[in-house]
Amino acid sequence: MNARLSLFVIAALVASAATRADETCNSPYLAKLIKGQEDFVHVWTLGVAGMGDGRDKLVTIDANQKSKNYGKVVSKVSVPGNPRGEAHHMGFTDDRRFLWAGGLEDSRIHVFDIGANPAKPRLVKTIDFAKQSGYVGPHTFYALPGRMLIAGLSNTKDQSGRTGLATYNNSGKLIAKHDMPTGDVDGVKADGYGYDIAINPAKNAMLTSSFTGYKNYMRPLGELIKDAEAMKNFGSTMVLWDLKAMKPQQVFAVPGAPLEIRWSLKEGDNWAITAAALTSKLWLVKPGADGKYAAKEVGTIGDPAKIPLPVDISIAADGKGLWVNTFMDGMTRYFDLTNPESPKETYSKQTGKQVNMISQSWDGKRVYITSSLLEKWDKGGADNEQFVRAFDWDGKELKQAFEVDFAKEKLGRAHHMKFSVRGSGKSMAQVAREQVAQAHTGNQ
Amino acid sequence: MLALAASDTAPGAGGPRVDARRLPAPGSYTLPRIQRCPDGEVLQTDGRPLHLHQALRGRISVLGFMYTYCRDPVGCPLAYRIMVATRDALMHDAALAARSQLISLSFDPTNDTPEQMRMYGHGQADPARVRWRFLTTASVPTLLPLLDRLGQDVSVETNAKGKPTRTLNHLLKVFLIDPQLWVREIYSVATLDQAALVNDMRTVAGEGSNRG
Repeated sequence: MNARLSLFVIAALVASAATRADETCNSPYLAKLIKGQEDFVHVWTLGVAGMGDGRDKLVTIDANQKSKNYGKVVSKVSVPGNPRGEAHHMGFTDDRRFLWAGGLEDSRIHVFDIGANPAKPRLVKTIDFAKQSGYVGPHTFYALPGRMLIAGLSNTKDQSGRTGLATYNNSGKLIAKHDMPTGDVDGVKADGYGYDIAINPAKNAMLTSSFTGYKNYMRPLGELIKDAEAMKNFGSTMVLWDLKAMKPQQVFAVPGAPLEIRWSLKEGDNWAITAAALTSKLWLVKPGADGKYAAKEVGTIGDPAKIPLPVDISIAADGKGLWVNTFMDGMTRYFDLTNPESPKETYSKQTGKQVNMISQSWDGKRVYITSSLLEKWDKGGADNEQFVRAFDWDGKELKQAFEVDFAKEKLGRAHHMKFSVRGSGKSMAQVAREQVAQAHTGNQ
Repeated sequence: MLALAASDTAPGAGGPRVDARRLPAPGSYTLPRIQRCPDGEVLQTDGRPLHLHQALRGRISVLGFMYTYCRDPVGCPLAYRIMVATRDALMHDAALAARSQLISLSFDPTNDTPEQMRMYGHGQADPARVRWRFLTTASVPTLLPLLDRLGQDVSVETNAKGKPTRTLNHLLKVFLIDPQLWVREIYSVATLDQAALVNDMRTVAGEGSNRG
């Protein structure tokens, strides 16, 4: 047989899957942007003792209206070993083949193969984040080329909010770690806390935010808020890093636990926005006239006196709008960001008795919402709804398209979501194998 | 001639817009060792085989996968343009040039034969100025392990009948590999910039010969 396989099949076009950003919330290094209809929504789900198998699991829902399984669960992959590790957030590798999903309690990272068949994810690796990095609570999974940057929430020594950033290569090997800054940085006191990561590649700029440590996030919320000392131990800073050097450049005072960070995705924009959970404020980070970045409060979410607890935000692809979910009142709000210096709430709707994550499609026409924040922070009784709700958004009204009741289906607490599409094409290896087989058949 | 598909949301049709003013000074930072570079047999423009490690060892290498007739503006042509700019920068830094090289390795061993690569690299592969190797492989099975172990994702589009077409999808990546064969940086379309690349090469060059 001719050793040189015909490569005519791949000898044409390189459609580089380079992206500025994914479905508005992901790393700008992510491949295979889904600009059209997503096929699946993957939901990283906290197990509930006595509910189904009681294990943390990756639940996959068919989200394509043209599918006969639309709105139905098509796959459940439960984690082995420790049944519940406070499943929380997840993120794709840069090639979008693998989904890394973390647990805030046991600090394990489960790596799922999504690329081979997104309808049937497969667990391929589990990483002991705490043992390897010394950090606890792997929170944000942010793809870099060939590697994954992970923000911790705590540490193994005292389980406080002091933590850091760990970089793994895509094979799952820890290759670098960087403590969050403490002490005085350019005149502002850094608290050493961590939470989210957001990168503006063009500016070599990385922002991180700050939440709280294991000792706080693993306590029942009702108990925690009565503990004045413990309530002092929440993050109140954001850090601007030199991404290339992985060195803190500036620290911004942003009181009240700034959580999710989103850079504007509009070409040429150079600003990011975040929501502070405890103060219910929107903060803008952008350069001033001197070119130096600064953070400033630009808006209020609901009535801060009632502590609505903004938990997740989702920015429109054109940077003109922002969805904000507030956990306590179950509200989903839309802010007009035409002027990011002055966001205006233009729409609100109660989408659940408790709501946490919110993800929108790239075209902004579909919005997905989950219910769970943390096992011990979720509400009790009838208010403890657990769901994924999909909505259609026409610019005026959120209309529910489908719901998966995670309690009724004995799945658990629905938390973080990521989208995927059915694969098109074949791998080079698959094509090569087929050609070998054809050549073999032809020779017989 | 070849059809071209629009790329996803690349930052500008011409490629990345990295603000070089915000890059750290060479030598003021450390690049992590991301992974070991895999080995495999490649073919030089004269057709002679060579182990990739032989080609890489002892020099700071900028390695990019390509094929000679790609026209996607933010695909291989972008990588080529940045390689040329890097070559030009190295021509003004003889010390760094002497310790560095550029490598273009084809995705397509069938069409990009050693002779084809020689013609493609004509006028660029002059070791007296800056070493720029133009390599290919003997077959897809030889190439695949290199792609897989470097994490260079590639897939072949299929038609409605499930048959492979002439469309290849891949994520643009250019690899910076140190003389000890460690991948030290991977550039995507968002970060592939000549100034950033040369800064990183100078940073690696400044690490000293004992690092290995």
